[in-house]
Amino acid sequence: MAATVIAMPRLGMTMEEGTVVEWPLPIGAPVSKGQTVLVIETEKTEAEIEATASGVFRHIYVEPGETVACGTLCGAISDTADEAFDADAFAAAHAPPESAHPKVPTFETGAGASAKAAAPLSDDDRSGKRPVAPAARALARELELDVDAIPGSGPGGRVTKQDVAAHAAARERLVSVAPGIALEVLRAGDGDPVLLMPGFGADASAFAPQSAELSVDYSLIAVNPRGVGLSDAPDQQRYEIPQAAHDAAALLDRPSHVIGASLGAAVALELALQHADKIRSLTLITPFVRASPRLLAVIEAWCRIAERDDPKTLAAFLAPWLFGDGLLADEVARRRTLQGLAAMSARTPAAGLRRWAAGIAVWSGTREDSLATIRIPTLCIVAGRDLLTPDSTRIAAAIPDSRTQEIADAGHGVTIEAADAVTAAIRAHLNRS
Amino acid sequence: MSRELSLGQAVNEALQIAMETDPDVILMGEDVAGGGDRTGDDVDEMGGVLGTTRGLVKAFPDRVLDTPISEMGILGAAVGAAITGMRPVVELMFMDFIGTCLDPLLNQAAKFRYMFGGKVRVPLTVRTVTGAGMQAAAQHSQSLYWLTAGIPGLKTVIPSNPIDAKGLLLAAIRDDNPVVFCEAKMVLGSIAEVPAGDYEIPIGEAALVREGGDVSLIGMGATVPMCRSAAEQLARDGIQADVLDLRSIQPLDEEAILATLEKTGSVVVVDEATPRSSVASDIAALCVDRGFDFLNTPVKRISAPHCPVPFSRPLEQAYIPSIDRIVETVRGLA
Repeated sequence: MAATVIAMPRLGMTMEEGTVVEWPLPIGAPVSKGQTVLVIETEKTEAEIEATASGVFRHIYVEPGETVACGTLCGAISDTADEAFDADAFAAAHAPPESAHPKVPTFETGAGASAKAAAPLSDDDRSGKRPVAPAARALARELELDVDAIPGSGPGGRVTKQDVAAHAAARERLVSVAPGIALEVLRAGDGDPVLLMPGFGADASAFAPQSAELSVDYSLIAVNPRGVGLSDAPDQQRYEIPQAAHDAAALLDRPSHVIGASLGAAVALELALQHADKIRSLTLITPFVRASPRLLAVIEAWCRIAERDDPKTLAAFLAPWLFGDGLLADEVARRRTLQGLAAMSARTPAAGLRRWAAGIAVWSGTREDSLATIRIPTLCIVAGRDLLTPDSTRIAAAIPDSRTQEIADAGHGVTIEAADAVTAAIRAHLNRS
Repeated sequence: MSRELSLGQAVNEALQIAMETDPDVILMGEDVAGGGDRTGDDVDEMGGVLGTTRGLVKAFPDRVLDTPISEMGILGAAVGAAITGMRPVVELMFMDFIGTCLDPLLNQAAKFRYMFGGKVRVPLTVRTVTGAGMQAAAQHSQSLYWLTAGIPGLKTVIPSNPIDAKGLLLAAIRDDNPVVFCEAKMVLGSIAEVPAGDYEIPIGEAALVREGGDVSLIGMGATVPMCRSAAEQLARDGIQADVLDLRSIQPLDEEAILATLEKTGSVVVVDEATPRSSVASDIAALCVDRGFDFLNTPVKRISAPHCPVPFSRPLEQAYIPSIDRIVETVRGLA
């Protein structure tokens, strides 16, 4: 009268845990020594585990889908069907050593996963294991900065010396816009104020191609929204577009020209609806008021890649969605753009992307009927090869004092792909307004 | 005044100047006279297997000596001549043959000055041909400069161009220590405007031959032109490279290496030799050891694989470090 252990085996030197895939026999079935009683998976390989004694398959401790450490009691075989078997007592008698206790179910499976999955990834999750170049570490030490809080733009997210220098410079640029919220603001030039707001997953550097020329005559205020660059990233469920408009309004002390691209254009529209007195003119670059299914799908993939992979991979994914064939066919331009996108991606952490994605989802479709009330001179720049915001053209039509400039061969990322054409269109619009 | 000369011709000119300015300078080696007629001028002597010393026997009939085919004999005689007042320049036809004559170099020439308390000078120069690229196969294509560079008491230099070749060889011949002068096959035929007259390039000084600031490409001998070409390609992508020509492998210009590392934070060493115990590895170690806080990217080594040089042309070309490998490596850093 006794029972036999079915334990998670150690099949190789490096195996530390395995997942129960299947118990092929029903409870109570007779078992012969050598017969398969358990199927497990380890490192993506399935293995059939044989009974070490004959008898009756009596009890299951670990259900299919659960992952446990090697040595963990998974099931039991009793000698006969009618003998007494106390499952708890047997388990207590065969408890594995402390270190081999069953693990909390892994990220993808089981009850414990939901709590982990619901919590947004903090910056630490992305920075914890990132490599840091020695030169970056040395500079951070010299400047008394926490190198682990600095996003990395190198391969595998490596923090480079340039990242530390940029971080240090950017810290000088924080401006308080709401209680406890400071945003990173880049300023250039002198003249009438022009507010620049970047799109989803972009930062103020997206307007770099326009800044040099516009800063000759205007005072540029390029803002990184919440969760982007060095701007504060409060732990909110979503970053709301109306709230972003309030943040932006706090930066304007007199009527300004407002320019936004994509998500930035959505914020600009919201700003026009809520703070019309602060706006002299509006420039909406590839805007949307209702997110297309494709836009939402690309944003979802964008978030997932940002959470799991490195900036270069994300850039490679994004390029065909953002640019037309002209840029993609030009080897040099493509490589430069990919480098720029990767560097920008490193400054837009995944947690912030998720919150903006949630903000876009709730805002989408709420402002279509309000467009007609906008009384501000508006330029709408639309791109002929734009795959993401097909409603751009309808927005211009709905705003009374507006004109549309179409840039035929460019994609959604038109400020980069057709930089000069966009700059020229903006200049003309600002001169008129 | 300067003329266009190949690296081989620049070596010849340096030898001629050295022999004109110092009667103690003698040449020895297999066919360095090459059966040339010492009196008549109707015989076109060979001047070594690659013709580098052609013409010298006519100018200095008693001082250019053909030897038997015995590297041990050549080096043994040369070391003896050096410590007894001559300033011999010997030709070791290919550096691959160094195994047959290592003792006179490793245990005699390299040790005498030290062991005799500085009372003995060993003004010996060993000219030798190194490297792949001519389908000379596994026994005639090796880059073994790392071997002599690792022996205390020997100096080892490897010019990348005719101008440096002339100045370095004159400095080597006039050095009171044994110097191994490597002529890399792939640059032997390279052409440059070489200044006329007598000049020396100090042994132990690297040359920054291109100024960039984004990445440091460090080469020696045949890999320097590769680094320069790679730098031009990278410049089209907006990546500006420093190119450092080591010129001297031992002594190694550590300060020049650390200076370019400090400037760029990124070092790629391009070495024609095999990677184990190599100059490239030595420089990588130097960067980590003395330049750790400057490093913004991993130090990358581009070298031959740890394998003999193949005879087959496509395999040999794949074996030798290439411009494409340098460009790809640099792109992978950012």
